[in-house]
Amino acid sequence: MDKNALSLFQLCDSNFPTGAFSHSYGLESYIQEDHVHDQKTLSEWLHVYVNEQLVHSDGLASRLVFDALQDGDLETVWKLDRMLTVQNLPRETREGTQKMGDRMLNLVGSLYEVPVLSLYRERINKKQCFGHPAIVFTMIGHHLGVSRSTTILYYLYSVTSSIVQNAVRAIPLGQTAGQRTIQQFQDVLMEATEKIESLDEEDFGIISPGLELSQMKHERVNIRIFMS
Amino acid sequence: MKDWTGILRLEAEVRNGKTVAKNVYFQGAFKVMRPVYHDDSGQACYYILNPGGGYLDGDRYQMKISLEEQARLTLTTQSATKIYKTPNQYAYHETEITLKRGSYLEYITDPLIGYQDARYKQKTVIRMEKGATLLYSDIITSGWSPDGAQFSYDMLQLINEIYVDDELMVFDHIKLNPAAKDMNSLGFMEGYSHLGSMIVVGEQADNDLLDRLYHAIHEDTKEYKIGLSLLPASGIIIRILADSTQTIEKIHTACHHIINREFFNTTPSFLRKY
Repeated sequence: MDKNALSLFQLCDSNFPTGAFSHSYGLESYIQEDHVHDQKTLSEWLHVYVNEQLVHSDGLASRLVFDALQDGDLETVWKLDRMLTVQNLPRETREGTQKMGDRMLNLVGSLYEVPVLSLYRERINKKQCFGHPAIVFTMIGHHLGVSRSTTILYYLYSVTSSIVQNAVRAIPLGQTAGQRTIQQFQDVLMEATEKIESLDEEDFGIISPGLELSQMKHERVNIRIFMS
Repeated sequence: MKDWTGILRLEAEVRNGKTVAKNVYFQGAFKVMRPVYHDDSGQACYYILNPGGGYLDGDRYQMKISLEEQARLTLTTQSATKIYKTPNQYAYHETEITLKRGSYLEYITDPLIGYQDARYKQKTVIRMEKGATLLYSDIITSGWSPDGAQFSYDMLQLINEIYVDDELMVFDHIKLNPAAKDMNSLGFMEGYSHLGSMIVVGEQADNDLLDRLYHAIHEDTKEYKIGLSLLPASGIIIRILADSTQTIEKIHTACHHIINREFFNTTPSFLRKY
Protein backbone atom coordinates (compact mmCIF):
# COMPACT_ATOMS: atom_id res chain seq x y z
CA MET A 1 0.00 0.00 0.00
CA ASP A 2 1.41 3.38 -0.86
CA LYS A 3 1.35 6.38 1.46
CA ASN A 4 -1.63 8.02 -0.21
CA ALA A 5 -3.81 4.95 0.01
CA LEU A 6 -2.79 4.67 3.65
CA SER A 7 -3.91 8.26 4.22
CA LEU A 8 -7.27 7.53 2.68
CA PHE A 9 -7.49 4.38 4.75
CA GLN A 10 -7.54 6.52 7.88
CA LEU A 11 -11.08 7.59 6.90
CA CYS A 12 -12.18 3.93 6.79
CA ASP A 13 -11.30 3.28 10.41
CA SER A 14 -14.45 2.50 12.35
CA ASN A 15 -13.04 4.79 15.07
CA PHE A 16 -13.01 7.70 12.65
CA PRO A 17 -15.65 9.82 14.37
CA THR A 18 -18.34 10.52 11.80
CA GLY A 19 -21.21 9.12 13.85
CA ALA A 20 -21.59 5.98 11.71
CA PHE A 21 -21.91 3.93 14.88
CA SER A 22 -25.39 5.31 15.45
CA HIS A 23 -26.92 4.39 12.08
CA SER A 24 -28.21 1.05 10.87
CA TYR A 25 -29.92 2.17 7.60
CA GLY A 26 -33.00 0.14 8.36
CA LEU A 27 -31.09 -2.97 9.48
CA GLU A 28 -32.47 -2.51 13.00
CA SER A 29 -36.02 -3.00 11.66
CA TYR A 30 -34.96 -6.34 10.16
CA ILE A 31 -33.26 -7.37 13.40
CA GLN A 32 -36.35 -6.52 15.45
CA GLU A 33 -38.57 -8.51 13.07
CA ASP A 34 -36.07 -11.37 13.39
CA HIS A 35 -35.32 -11.46 9.66
CA VAL A 36 -31.67 -10.79 10.47
CA HIS A 37 -30.50 -12.86 13.43
CA ASP A 38 -27.16 -14.50 12.60
CA GLN A 39 -24.09 -14.19 10.41
CA LYS A 40 -25.80 -15.76 7.39
CA THR A 41 -28.86 -13.51 7.45
CA LEU A 42 -26.67 -10.47 8.12
CA SER A 43 -24.62 -11.29 5.00
CA GLU A 44 -27.81 -11.64 2.99
CA TRP A 45 -29.04 -8.24 4.13
CA LEU A 46 -25.65 -6.63 3.55
CA HIS A 47 -25.53 -8.10 0.08
CA VAL A 48 -28.77 -6.41 -0.91
CA TYR A 49 -27.84 -3.17 0.84
CA VAL A 50 -24.51 -2.92 -0.99
CA ASN A 51 -25.54 -4.25 -4.40
CA GLU A 52 -28.94 -2.65 -4.68
CA GLN A 53 -28.89 0.51 -2.63
CA LEU A 54 -25.30 1.66 -2.11
CA VAL A 55 -24.13 0.89 -5.64
CA HIS A 56 -26.88 2.98 -7.24
CA SER A 57 -26.58 5.91 -4.85
CA ASP A 58 -23.31 6.59 -3.00
CA GLY A 59 -21.24 4.32 -5.26
CA LEU A 60 -22.33 5.75 -8.58
CA ALA A 61 -22.20 9.27 -7.15
CA SER A 62 -18.65 8.70 -5.97
CA ARG A 63 -17.59 7.70 -9.48
CA LEU A 64 -19.30 10.70 -11.05
CA VAL A 65 -17.92 13.10 -8.43
CA PHE A 66 -14.41 11.76 -8.96
CA ASP A 67 -14.67 12.40 -12.71
CA ALA A 68 -16.15 15.84 -12.16
CA LEU A 69 -13.30 16.76 -9.82
CA GLN A 70 -10.86 15.52 -12.43
CA ASP A 71 -12.51 17.84 -14.96
CA GLY A 72 -12.73 20.73 -12.50
CA ASP A 73 -16.50 20.62 -13.00
CA LEU A 74 -17.78 21.62 -9.58
CA GLU A 75 -21.32 22.27 -10.76
CA THR A 76 -21.69 18.51 -11.27
CA VAL A 77 -20.34 17.84 -7.79
CA TRP A 78 -22.94 20.17 -6.24
CA LYS A 79 -25.65 18.64 -8.39
CA LEU A 80 -24.76 15.16 -7.13
CA ASP A 81 -24.83 16.43 -3.55
CA ARG A 82 -28.46 17.37 -4.18
CA MET A 83 -29.30 14.20 -6.08
CA LEU A 84 -27.92 12.01 -3.28
CA THR A 85 -29.99 13.88 -0.73
CA VAL A 86 -33.29 14.12 -2.58
CA GLN A 87 -33.26 10.48 -3.71
CA ASN A 88 -32.97 9.40 -0.07
CA LEU A 89 -36.67 9.48 0.76
CA PRO A 90 -36.67 8.00 4.29
CA ARG A 91 -36.13 11.05 6.51
CA GLU A 92 -34.02 9.34 9.19
CA THR A 93 -31.45 7.91 6.80
CA ARG A 94 -31.37 11.15 4.82
CA GLU A 95 -30.82 13.37 7.84
CA GLY A 96 -28.45 10.89 9.45
CA THR A 97 -26.32 10.72 6.32
CA GLN A 98 -26.33 14.50 6.05
CA LYS A 99 -25.10 14.80 9.64
CA MET A 100 -22.34 12.28 8.97
CA GLY A 101 -21.30 14.19 5.87
CA ASP A 102 -21.14 17.33 7.95
CA ARG A 103 -19.00 15.76 10.70
CA MET A 104 -16.71 14.06 8.23
CA LEU A 105 -16.19 17.33 6.39
CA ASN A 106 -15.33 19.16 9.61
CA LEU A 107 -12.85 16.50 10.54
CA VAL A 108 -11.05 16.15 7.23
CA GLY A 109 -11.19 19.92 6.91
CA SER A 110 -8.87 20.12 9.91
CA LEU A 111 -6.62 17.36 8.54
CA TYR A 112 -6.29 18.58 4.94
CA GLU A 113 -6.04 21.96 3.31
CA VAL A 114 -8.01 21.42 0.14
CA PRO A 115 -9.84 24.32 -1.53
CA VAL A 116 -12.78 22.15 -2.65
CA LEU A 117 -13.40 21.06 0.96
CA SER A 118 -13.65 24.69 2.09
CA LEU A 119 -15.95 25.44 -0.83
CA TYR A 120 -18.17 22.52 0.12
CA ARG A 121 -18.24 23.72 3.73
CA GLU A 122 -19.14 27.22 2.62
CA ARG A 123 -21.97 25.99 0.42
CA ILE A 124 -23.38 23.81 3.21
CA ASN A 125 -23.29 26.77 5.60
CA LYS A 126 -25.14 28.85 3.05
CA LYS A 127 -27.65 26.00 2.55
CA GLN A 128 -26.63 25.67 -1.09
CA CYS A 129 -25.49 22.10 -0.43
CA PHE A 130 -26.61 19.37 1.95
CA GLY A 131 -23.40 17.46 2.74
CA HIS A 132 -22.77 13.78 2.07
CA PRO A 133 -19.99 11.43 3.30
CA ALA A 134 -19.56 9.80 -0.14
CA ILE A 135 -18.73 13.19 -1.61
CA VAL A 136 -16.32 14.19 1.17
CA PHE A 137 -14.62 10.80 0.93
CA THR A 138 -14.26 11.08 -2.85
CA MET A 139 -12.86 14.60 -2.54
CA ILE A 140 -10.10 13.28 -0.26
CA GLY A 141 -9.42 10.23 -2.46
CA HIS A 142 -9.09 12.51 -5.45
CA HIS A 143 -6.93 15.00 -3.56
CA LEU A 144 -4.58 12.24 -2.41
CA GLY A 145 -4.17 10.97 -5.96
CA VAL A 146 -5.70 7.60 -5.14
CA SER A 147 -7.32 5.97 -8.18
CA ARG A 148 -11.04 6.23 -8.75
CA SER A 149 -11.76 2.53 -8.26
CA THR A 150 -9.71 2.35 -5.05
CA THR A 151 -11.51 5.40 -3.69
CA ILE A 152 -14.88 3.77 -4.42
CA LEU A 153 -13.77 0.43 -2.97
CA TYR A 154 -12.48 2.02 0.24
CA TYR A 155 -15.67 3.99 0.61
CA LEU A 156 -17.79 0.84 0.28
CA TYR A 157 -15.50 -0.86 2.78
CA SER A 158 -15.85 1.96 5.30
CA VAL A 159 -19.65 1.82 5.11
CA THR A 160 -19.93 -1.96 5.36
CA SER A 161 -17.38 -2.34 8.14
CA SER A 162 -19.25 0.13 10.34
CA ILE A 163 -22.58 -1.56 9.62
CA VAL A 164 -21.08 -4.92 10.59
CA GLN A 165 -19.71 -3.41 13.82
CA ASN A 166 -23.19 -2.09 14.56
CA ALA A 167 -24.79 -5.45 13.73
CA VAL A 168 -22.38 -7.23 16.09
CA ARG A 169 -23.74 -5.05 18.91
CA ALA A 170 -27.38 -5.19 17.85
CA ILE A 171 -28.02 -8.83 16.89
CA PRO A 172 -25.74 -9.59 18.88
CA LEU A 173 -23.00 -11.53 17.13
CA GLY A 174 -19.56 -12.59 18.31
CA GLN A 175 -16.64 -10.38 17.26
CA THR A 176 -15.22 -13.31 15.29
CA ALA A 177 -18.46 -13.74 13.33
CA GLY A 178 -18.34 -10.02 12.59
CA GLN A 179 -14.80 -10.19 11.28
CA ARG A 180 -15.64 -13.28 9.25
CA THR A 181 -18.51 -11.37 7.63
CA ILE A 182 -16.18 -8.54 6.68
CA GLN A 183 -13.61 -10.99 5.35
CA GLN A 184 -16.17 -12.85 3.25
CA PHE A 185 -17.40 -9.56 1.95
CA GLN A 186 -14.15 -8.53 0.31
CA ASP A 187 -15.00 -10.17 -3.02
CA VAL A 188 -18.50 -8.72 -2.90
CA LEU A 189 -17.05 -5.22 -2.50
CA MET A 190 -14.60 -5.76 -5.38
CA GLU A 191 -17.48 -6.88 -7.59
CA ALA A 192 -19.66 -4.00 -6.45
CA THR A 193 -16.87 -1.59 -7.41
CA GLU A 194 -16.68 -3.14 -10.86
CA LYS A 195 -20.43 -2.88 -11.17
CA ILE A 196 -20.28 0.81 -10.27
CA GLU A 197 -17.62 1.36 -12.93
CA SER A 198 -19.94 -0.05 -15.58
CA LEU A 199 -23.28 1.42 -14.44
CA ASP A 200 -25.23 3.70 -16.66
CA GLU A 201 -25.73 7.21 -15.25
CA GLU A 202 -29.44 6.62 -15.75
CA ASP A 203 -29.33 3.93 -13.06
CA PHE A 204 -28.78 6.54 -10.39
CA GLY A 205 -30.97 6.30 -7.31
CA ILE A 206 -32.74 2.99 -7.95
CA ILE A 207 -34.23 1.81 -4.69
CA SER A 208 -34.96 -1.59 -3.23
CA PRO A 209 -38.59 -1.41 -2.09
CA GLY A 210 -38.16 -3.64 0.98
CA LEU A 211 -35.01 -1.89 2.20
CA GLU A 212 -36.46 1.56 1.74
CA LEU A 213 -39.69 0.63 3.47
CA SER A 214 -37.79 -0.74 6.46
CA GLN A 215 -35.80 2.50 6.66
CA MET A 216 -39.09 4.39 6.79
CA LYS A 217 -40.60 1.96 9.29
CA HIS A 218 -37.64 2.53 11.59
CA GLU A 219 -39.01 5.99 12.37
CA ARG A 220 -41.83 4.28 14.24
CA VAL A 221 -39.73 1.76 16.16
CA ASN A 222 -40.29 2.35 19.86
CA ILE A 223 -37.21 0.85 21.40
CA ARG A 224 -34.11 1.49 19.40
CA ILE A 225 -30.36 1.65 19.67
CA PHE A 226 -29.77 3.36 16.33
CA MET A 227 -30.90 6.70 14.96
CA SER A 228 -31.80 5.18 11.59
CA MET B 1 -37.43 12.10 -30.37
CA LYS B 2 -40.47 12.06 -32.61
CA ASP B 3 -43.09 9.56 -33.66
CA TRP B 4 -45.17 9.48 -30.53
CA THR B 5 -47.75 6.71 -30.31
CA GLY B 6 -49.93 9.01 -28.30
CA ILE B 7 -49.76 12.67 -27.31
CA LEU B 8 -51.85 14.49 -24.76
CA ARG B 9 -51.72 18.19 -23.87
CA LEU B 10 -53.95 19.72 -21.27
CA GLU B 11 -53.78 23.24 -19.91
CA ALA B 12 -56.29 24.14 -17.25
CA GLU B 13 -57.24 27.48 -15.75
CA VAL B 14 -59.95 28.91 -13.54
CA ARG B 15 -62.89 30.73 -15.09
CA ASN B 16 -65.68 31.97 -12.84
CA GLY B 17 -64.59 29.74 -10.02
CA LYS B 18 -64.53 26.66 -12.20
CA THR B 19 -61.48 24.85 -13.55
CA VAL B 20 -61.76 24.55 -17.30
CA ALA B 21 -59.48 23.55 -20.13
CA LYS B 22 -57.66 26.45 -21.74
CA ASN B 23 -56.24 24.07 -24.26
CA VAL B 24 -56.76 20.36 -24.84
CA TYR B 25 -55.07 18.43 -27.57
CA PHE B 26 -54.63 14.73 -28.10
CA GLN B 27 -53.44 12.59 -30.90
CA GLY B 28 -52.93 8.90 -31.57
CA ALA B 29 -53.51 6.39 -28.83
CA PHE B 30 -54.31 8.92 -26.10
CA LYS B 31 -57.64 10.54 -25.39
CA VAL B 32 -59.35 12.46 -22.64
CA MET B 33 -63.06 12.53 -22.01
CA ARG B 34 -64.97 15.73 -21.34
CA PRO B 35 -64.29 16.88 -17.80
CA VAL B 36 -66.54 15.69 -15.02
CA TYR B 37 -67.46 17.96 -12.12
CA HIS B 38 -68.14 15.66 -9.21
CA ASP B 39 -69.24 18.42 -6.85
CA ASP B 40 -69.70 22.18 -6.74
CA SER B 41 -66.08 22.92 -5.78
CA GLY B 42 -65.18 23.73 -9.40
CA GLN B 43 -62.54 21.00 -9.43
CA ALA B 44 -62.45 19.30 -12.81
CA CYS B 45 -61.83 15.59 -13.27
CA TYR B 46 -60.32 14.28 -16.48
CA TYR B 47 -60.18 10.61 -17.38
CA ILE B 48 -57.33 9.54 -19.64
CA LEU B 49 -58.16 6.81 -22.12
CA ASN B 50 -55.84 4.56 -23.98
CA PRO B 51 -57.97 3.47 -26.95
CA GLY B 52 -55.33 0.91 -27.94
CA GLY B 53 -56.05 -0.95 -24.72
CA GLY B 54 -52.42 -1.26 -23.74
CA TYR B 55 -48.81 -0.37 -24.49
CA LEU B 56 -47.09 -2.39 -27.18
CA ASP B 57 -43.52 -2.98 -28.28
CA GLY B 58 -41.71 0.34 -28.76
CA ASP B 59 -44.76 2.49 -27.99
CA ARG B 60 -43.96 6.03 -26.90
CA TYR B 61 -46.41 8.25 -25.07
CA GLN B 62 -46.07 11.87 -24.11
CA MET B 63 -48.26 13.90 -21.80
CA LYS B 64 -47.97 17.58 -20.89
CA ILE B 65 -50.27 18.92 -18.23
CA SER B 66 -50.28 22.41 -16.80
CA LEU B 67 -52.38 24.12 -14.20
CA GLU B 68 -52.66 27.88 -13.96
CA GLU B 69 -52.93 29.63 -10.59
CA GLN B 70 -55.74 28.30 -8.41
CA ALA B 71 -56.77 25.62 -10.91
CA ARG B 72 -57.90 22.34 -9.32
CA LEU B 73 -57.78 19.16 -11.29
CA THR B 74 -58.10 15.43 -10.82
CA LEU B 75 -56.35 13.42 -13.47
CA THR B 76 -56.84 9.71 -13.58
CA THR B 77 -56.70 6.77 -15.93
CA GLN B 78 -59.86 5.04 -17.03
CA SER B 79 -58.55 1.59 -16.24
CA ALA B 80 -55.33 -0.29 -15.50
CA THR B 81 -52.33 0.39 -17.74
CA LYS B 82 -51.33 -2.83 -19.45
CA ILE B 83 -47.88 -3.30 -20.89
CA TYR B 84 -47.74 -6.14 -23.37
CA LYS B 85 -44.58 -8.02 -24.28
CA THR B 86 -41.88 -5.84 -25.84
CA PRO B 87 -39.53 -8.11 -27.78
CA ASN B 88 -37.58 -5.27 -29.44
CA GLN B 89 -37.96 -1.98 -27.64
CA TYR B 90 -39.38 -1.11 -24.23
CA ALA B 91 -42.57 0.93 -24.05
CA TYR B 92 -42.04 4.48 -22.84
CA HIS B 93 -44.26 7.09 -21.25
CA GLU B 94 -43.06 10.56 -20.34
CA THR B 95 -45.07 13.18 -18.52
CA GLU B 96 -44.37 16.82 -17.81
CA ILE B 97 -46.52 18.59 -15.27
CA THR B 98 -46.41 22.28 -14.44
CA LEU B 99 -48.25 23.60 -11.40
CA LYS B 100 -48.62 27.31 -10.77
CA ARG B 101 -49.01 28.82 -7.33
CA GLY B 102 -52.26 27.92 -5.59
CA SER B 103 -53.11 25.12 -8.00
CA TYR B 104 -53.90 21.57 -6.93
CA LEU B 105 -53.38 18.43 -8.96
CA GLU B 106 -54.52 14.98 -7.94
CA TYR B 107 -52.82 12.56 -10.30
CA ILE B 108 -54.15 9.13 -9.44
CA THR B 109 -53.23 6.33 -11.78
CA ASP B 110 -54.73 2.87 -11.95
CA PRO B 111 -52.48 -0.13 -11.45
CA LEU B 112 -49.71 -0.95 -13.85
CA ILE B 113 -49.85 -4.50 -15.20
CA GLY B 114 -46.76 -5.83 -16.91
CA TYR B 115 -47.46 -8.83 -19.12
CA GLN B 116 -44.98 -11.62 -19.67
CA ASP B 117 -41.69 -10.32 -21.17
CA ALA B 118 -42.80 -6.68 -20.95
CA ARG B 119 -40.37 -3.81 -20.48
CA TYR B 120 -41.60 -0.35 -19.60
CA LYS B 121 -40.09 2.96 -18.62
CA GLN B 122 -42.02 5.88 -17.24
CA LYS B 123 -40.56 9.29 -16.52
CA THR B 124 -42.61 11.96 -14.82
CA VAL B 125 -41.22 15.44 -14.26
CA ILE B 126 -43.26 17.77 -12.10
CA ARG B 127 -42.41 21.44 -11.81
CA MET B 128 -44.32 23.24 -9.13
CA GLU B 129 -44.26 26.74 -7.79
CA LYS B 130 -44.20 27.15 -4.04
CA GLY B 131 -47.81 27.25 -2.89
CA ALA B 132 -48.97 24.62 -5.38
CA THR B 133 -50.10 21.22 -4.11
CA LEU B 134 -49.61 17.79 -5.62
CA LEU B 135 -51.05 14.42 -4.74
CA TYR B 136 -49.67 11.56 -6.81
CA SER B 137 -50.25 7.84 -6.52
CA ASP B 138 -49.38 4.69 -8.41
CA ILE B 139 -49.65 0.93 -7.97
CA ILE B 140 -47.38 -1.66 -9.54
CA THR B 141 -48.81 -5.18 -9.71
CA SER B 142 -46.97 -8.46 -10.12
CA GLY B 143 -48.23 -8.54 -13.70
CA TRP B 144 -49.93 -11.10 -15.83
CA SER B 145 -48.84 -14.29 -17.54
CA PRO B 146 -50.83 -17.13 -19.16
CA ASP B 147 -49.75 -19.63 -16.51
CA GLY B 148 -50.50 -17.27 -13.63
CA ALA B 149 -46.86 -16.87 -12.60
CA GLN B 150 -46.06 -13.62 -10.77
CA PHE B 151 -43.40 -11.17 -11.95
CA SER B 152 -43.16 -12.61 -15.46
CA TYR B 153 -42.52 -9.16 -16.93
CA ASP B 154 -38.88 -8.27 -17.58
CA MET B 155 -38.65 -4.76 -16.23
CA LEU B 156 -40.80 -1.89 -14.99
CA GLN B 157 -39.11 1.41 -14.32
CA LEU B 158 -40.73 4.52 -12.85
CA ILE B 159 -38.86 7.76 -12.35
CA ASN B 160 -40.41 10.76 -10.62
CA GLU B 161 -38.65 14.09 -10.42
CA ILE B 162 -40.31 16.88 -8.49
CA TYR B 163 -38.98 20.41 -8.67
CA VAL B 164 -40.21 23.15 -6.37
CA ASP B 165 -39.35 26.64 -7.63
CA ASP B 166 -36.85 25.04 -10.04
CA GLU B 167 -34.95 23.13 -7.35
CA LEU B 168 -35.02 19.33 -7.51
CA MET B 169 -36.62 18.30 -4.22
CA VAL B 170 -37.74 14.70 -4.77
CA PHE B 171 -36.13 12.01 -6.90
CA ASP B 172 -37.88 8.67 -6.81
CA HIS B 173 -36.54 5.83 -8.92
CA ILE B 174 -38.14 2.40 -8.90
CA LYS B 175 -36.82 -0.25 -11.23
CA LEU B 176 -38.20 -3.73 -10.74
CA ASN B 177 -36.24 -6.17 -12.79
CA PRO B 178 -37.55 -9.71 -12.29
CA ALA B 179 -35.64 -10.81 -15.40
CA ALA B 180 -32.47 -10.41 -13.32
CA LYS B 181 -33.54 -10.54 -9.66
CA ASP B 182 -35.69 -12.68 -7.42
CA MET B 183 -38.49 -10.30 -6.46
CA ASN B 184 -39.50 -12.32 -3.41
CA SER B 185 -36.15 -12.09 -1.70
CA LEU B 186 -35.17 -9.89 1.20
CA GLY B 187 -34.95 -6.22 0.33
CA PHE B 188 -37.11 -6.45 -2.80
CA MET B 189 -40.84 -7.23 -2.65
CA GLU B 190 -40.28 -9.57 0.32
CA GLY B 191 -43.11 -11.95 -0.53
CA TYR B 192 -45.65 -9.27 -1.48
CA SER B 193 -46.96 -8.86 -5.01
CA HIS B 194 -48.01 -5.19 -5.18
CA LEU B 195 -46.14 -1.96 -4.53
CA GLY B 196 -48.03 1.26 -3.94
CA SER B 197 -46.61 4.77 -3.72
CA MET B 198 -48.26 8.00 -2.78
CA ILE B 199 -46.44 11.32 -2.83
CA VAL B 200 -47.87 14.54 -1.44
CA VAL B 201 -46.08 17.84 -1.85
CA GLY B 202 -47.51 21.03 -0.46
CA GLU B 203 -46.82 23.63 2.17
CA GLN B 204 -49.23 22.03 4.63
CA ALA B 205 -47.60 18.60 4.50
CA ASP B 206 -45.84 18.44 7.86
CA ASN B 207 -45.03 16.13 10.73
CA ASP B 208 -48.52 16.46 12.25
CA LEU B 209 -50.10 15.27 9.04
CA LEU B 210 -47.58 12.44 8.85
CA ASP B 211 -48.58 11.30 12.34
CA ARG B 212 -52.26 11.51 11.51
CA LEU B 213 -51.79 9.46 8.35
CA TYR B 214 -49.73 6.91 10.20
CA HIS B 215 -52.31 6.41 12.92
CA ALA B 216 -55.11 6.15 10.37
CA ILE B 217 -53.49 3.45 8.25
CA HIS B 218 -51.12 1.62 10.57
CA GLU B 219 -52.35 -1.80 11.64
CA ASP B 220 -50.63 -4.73 13.18
CA THR B 221 -51.20 -6.99 10.20
CA LYS B 222 -49.40 -9.28 7.80
CA GLU B 223 -51.75 -8.22 5.02
CA TYR B 224 -49.56 -5.25 4.12
CA LYS B 225 -46.50 -3.31 5.16
CA ILE B 226 -46.31 0.46 5.11
CA GLY B 227 -43.57 3.03 5.35
CA LEU B 228 -44.18 6.77 5.66
CA SER B 229 -41.71 9.59 5.78
CA LEU B 230 -41.21 13.30 5.36
CA LEU B 231 -39.64 14.35 2.07
CA PRO B 232 -36.82 16.88 1.68
CA ALA B 233 -39.41 19.35 0.34
CA SER B 234 -42.45 19.88 2.47
CA GLY B 235 -44.08 16.66 1.52
CA ILE B 236 -44.79 13.08 2.47
CA ILE B 237 -44.17 9.71 0.87
CA ILE B 238 -46.20 6.60 1.63
CA ARG B 239 -45.00 3.22 0.39
CA ILE B 240 -47.09 0.09 0.67
CA LEU B 241 -46.23 -3.53 0.03
CA ALA B 242 -49.38 -5.66 -0.24
CA ASP B 243 -50.97 -8.57 -2.04
CA SER B 244 -53.74 -6.83 -3.91
CA THR B 245 -54.64 -3.63 -5.70
CA GLN B 246 -57.70 -3.30 -3.46
CA THR B 247 -55.64 -3.26 -0.26
CA ILE B 248 -53.44 -0.47 -1.58
CA GLU B 249 -56.37 1.49 -3.00
CA LYS B 250 -58.12 1.33 0.35
CA ILE B 251 -55.09 2.81 2.10
CA HIS B 252 -54.54 5.41 -0.63
CA THR B 253 -58.18 6.45 -0.39
CA ALA B 254 -57.99 6.77 3.39
CA CYS B 255 -54.90 9.00 3.06
CA HIS B 256 -56.47 10.99 0.25
CA HIS B 257 -59.50 11.75 2.43
CA ILE B 258 -57.38 12.93 5.35
CA ILE B 259 -55.19 15.08 3.11
CA ASN B 260 -58.09 16.78 1.33
CA ARG B 261 -59.83 17.46 4.61
CA GLU B 262 -56.69 18.91 6.19
CA PHE B 263 -55.63 20.98 3.20
CA PHE B 264 -58.89 22.17 1.68
CA ASN B 265 -61.69 20.97 3.93
CA THR B 266 -63.09 18.94 1.04
CA THR B 267 -63.88 15.27 0.48
CA PRO B 268 -62.44 13.52 -2.57
CA SER B 269 -64.98 12.20 -5.03
CA PHE B 270 -65.37 8.55 -5.81
CA LEU B 271 -63.90 7.99 -9.27
CA ARG B 272 -66.47 5.84 -11.06
CA LYS B 273 -64.80 3.88 -13.80
CA TYR B 274 -66.56 0.67 -14.55
